[in-house]
Amino acid sequence: MVSETLNLILQLLIYPGFLFIFCLAFFSEWIMRKFVARIQSRMGPTYTGYGGVLQPIADFIKLLGKEDIIPALADRPFFTFTPLLYLALPLTAIFILPMASQSALISFEGDLIFLEFIFTMLTMMVFLGGFLSGSIFSMVGGVRAAIQLLGYEIPFLIALFSPSIPASSLSISKISAWQAQNNAWGLWTQPIGFSVLVICLLAELELLPFDIPEAETEIVAGWNVEFTGRRLALIRLGKDVEVVLASAILADLYLGGPQQVWIIPPIIIFLAKMFACLLLLGYLKTLFARFRIDQVLSGMWKYVVPAAMIQLIILKLIW
Amino acid sequence: MAFAKEALRNIFKKPVTEKYPFERREPAEGFRGRPIWDMKKCIGCGTCVRVCPVKAVEMIGRGKEAIIKHHLDRCIYCGQCAESCPVKAITMTPEYELSDTDKSRMLYVYERK
Amino acid sequence: MSGSTIRVIIGPQHPALKEPERFILETEGEYVVDVKVRIGYIHRGIEKAMENRTYLQGLYLSERVCGICSDAHTTCYVQGVEELLGVEPPPRSRFIRVVVAELERIHSHLLWLGVAAHEIGFDTLFMYVWRDREVVMDLLELVSGNRVNYATNTIGGVRRDLNDERIQKIVKGLKILEERTKEYLKMIEKEQTVLKRTTNVGILSKSDAIKYGAVGPTTRASGVKRDVRADDPYAAYDEIPFNVIVEDGCDCLARIMVRGKEVLESINIIREALKRMPSGEIRVRVKPRIPPAEALSRVEAPRGELLYYIRSNGTDKPERCKIRTPTLANIPALCKMLVGGYIADVPIVLAGIDPCFACMDRVLIVDREKKRADVWTLDMLRRYGREWYQRH
Repeated sequence: MVSETLNLILQLLIYPGFLFIFCLAFFSEWIMRKFVARIQSRMGPTYTGYGGVLQPIADFIKLLGKEDIIPALADRPFFTFTPLLYLALPLTAIFILPMASQSALISFEGDLIFLEFIFTMLTMMVFLGGFLSGSIFSMVGGVRAAIQLLGYEIPFLIALFSPSIPASSLSISKISAWQAQNNAWGLWTQPIGFSVLVICLLAELELLPFDIPEAETEIVAGWNVEFTGRRLALIRLGKDVEVVLASAILADLYLGGPQQVWIIPPIIIFLAKMFACLLLLGYLKTLFARFRIDQVLSGMWKYVVPAAMIQLIILKLIW
Repeated sequence: MAFAKEALRNIFKKPVTEKYPFERREPAEGFRGRPIWDMKKCIGCGTCVRVCPVKAVEMIGRGKEAIIKHHLDRCIYCGQCAESCPVKAITMTPEYELSDTDKSRMLYVYERK
Repeated sequence: MSGSTIRVIIGPQHPALKEPERFILETEGEYVVDVKVRIGYIHRGIEKAMENRTYLQGLYLSERVCGICSDAHTTCYVQGVEELLGVEPPPRSRFIRVVVAELERIHSHLLWLGVAAHEIGFDTLFMYVWRDREVVMDLLELVSGNRVNYATNTIGGVRRDLNDERIQKIVKGLKILEERTKEYLKMIEKEQTVLKRTTNVGILSKSDAIKYGAVGPTTRASGVKRDVRADDPYAAYDEIPFNVIVEDGCDCLARIMVRGKEVLESINIIREALKRMPSGEIRVRVKPRIPPAEALSRVEAPRGELLYYIRSNGTDKPERCKIRTPTLANIPALCKMLVGGYIADVPIVLAGIDPCFACMDRVLIVDREKKRADVWTLDMLRRYGREWYQRH
């Protein structure tokens, strides 16, 4: 009994728990920065650690040491609450994704709905943090994040739920296990759904071309303009964990998740798929300019929602 | 998606950043760096002092005993002194790494031995 | 103004501005309904400083009015002084002036293209264009001895000659630039996100462009064919055939296309100038003291029409030197363009006029009650500042 609880605590804290996820978050930030830099013909982080691998950790530690200022007009409880939740929510969500084995640390029927709930809460955190920071620029950024949510939420939901139809289950672990066993990856059985999910994940993560709540040249830093020091460090770590979460979702729901291939352990296969999705998101980030918020809404409702609906109808007809 | 092919091609090329200061590139021929005075040719006429737009050149004394002081932190490296010198005693070297933390090193004094 | 507007200040410090000016926008939601401009943050007193320096020293001061259009400023100043003296620079020097001016125009437009791409969030294009801008900066270093502040012009001609080796390198560099610019223009015309952000944004109709007195590529993108190189030729422009690029779009996309095509046109002008360059000397000697006269000279800087008015009084220092830069002429048109757009459009519209606020600030205090205009000394300004802060 004791050894079981000890086992669970070790799993939660180290592998595949907090320590593993933080290392993965820092590493994926490094990969993203290096990849984007190579596309843009420049070097990216080079001098901290071998090839710049320690740069995200150095940035995090530097931010932790900076002065923490609370603006006079900001709402104190929410100002502290928002960065904490912004880090805690993606961490919670990662625990329900299968990473090291066929079933996640915590899995139950309906955890797909729980995942969707967490994503909506994340954007609500962005909105509240921006709106209650007491500055014009952050208010505009927060409102833009809420408007963007109106645009991408419906296709996001549909694209998340589409893989559950062939697998007849609402548990992510069961969906990925089904896709791995029957070799019916979502990538080729539901290609439209895959593209819709990629577009909506770009909008959720606030990566270009949907980087609107945080547009640097228009509203300085958007919703996180007033956060400094420790709070900004938590927000940035939260963003990195969110990117890992997004790539892990793509790998689990559409690429078959962790599976044992030959003698390679499932975690390695999962990491390979996850980094492939990360590179895809990074590549798409560099290709576009930033949209305007009204163009996002009209584009989403004119093109992406119908595409997701068509995907759903096709699935219903086939299965 | 018009930039897709260009972006893919650039992943496999080397970055264009020059790794200064580990790899240093020589400036082009004729680059206007620090001017130096050749005191063997200088006749102490004071033309460089008069012509300098920013008063970076000082002369103490006149004629053949003149001492030239050049303020590196005031100089704008325009080359007008080199152009106006009647005996061509001033040349513009290609030295450009001239920043320093010590203001006393920013004054160059040219004397005749 | 209705009471429901929010004031968003694109303040002196803002990532959209490369230099400090203050734009106070009254917005309703995301629409901009009014704009108030407040300029003067980087007034440096250059016109007064010119009066204490000789003509030759003033040349280097006029070069540093702006970092990117520095050659245009020196060309304009030197032409003004040569008109006061009544000297003609030799033919070869006029062609060399054209070569350097057009190289600078290419440099300025490529820099602008990168900055405009950054304003709409397209960092990849920004990095690519600035990578190719290094080619033209290396050419300028070869021709003039420095990457910025070229100092090739002098009163009576130019200072450095173009020998064959330099001409070969220029021709090689121009080929690379032409190929890359054509590719970027082609890709911009096809990229959907860029088109969506720049079409029908910052509209300035043809009649408005003429009414508000816009100059340069801003007005040429609205269909007005106005270019000092063609209307009032200086240097060697009357001997080199070239086209004036005009577009009809009246929006930011038209401004991008005008500047991109002007780069290609400048490459052709340089090739023509190198082909037709006469041989001969490159400068004539001039007297330091200039008899009393006044002169007005205009050139086409990369941003538009640049004016210098110089008055001499018989000594070797000018009596008055007045500079009117193109960005100042574009500011009223800018205010017209911003109203009625979105907040998200403000950076790209601002970047669309290619602002160079460093050139722009000249101060003249007009006292309406006492009906006089005077120029203040530093002591008067300091006293006024102290009294103002004590009152508020």
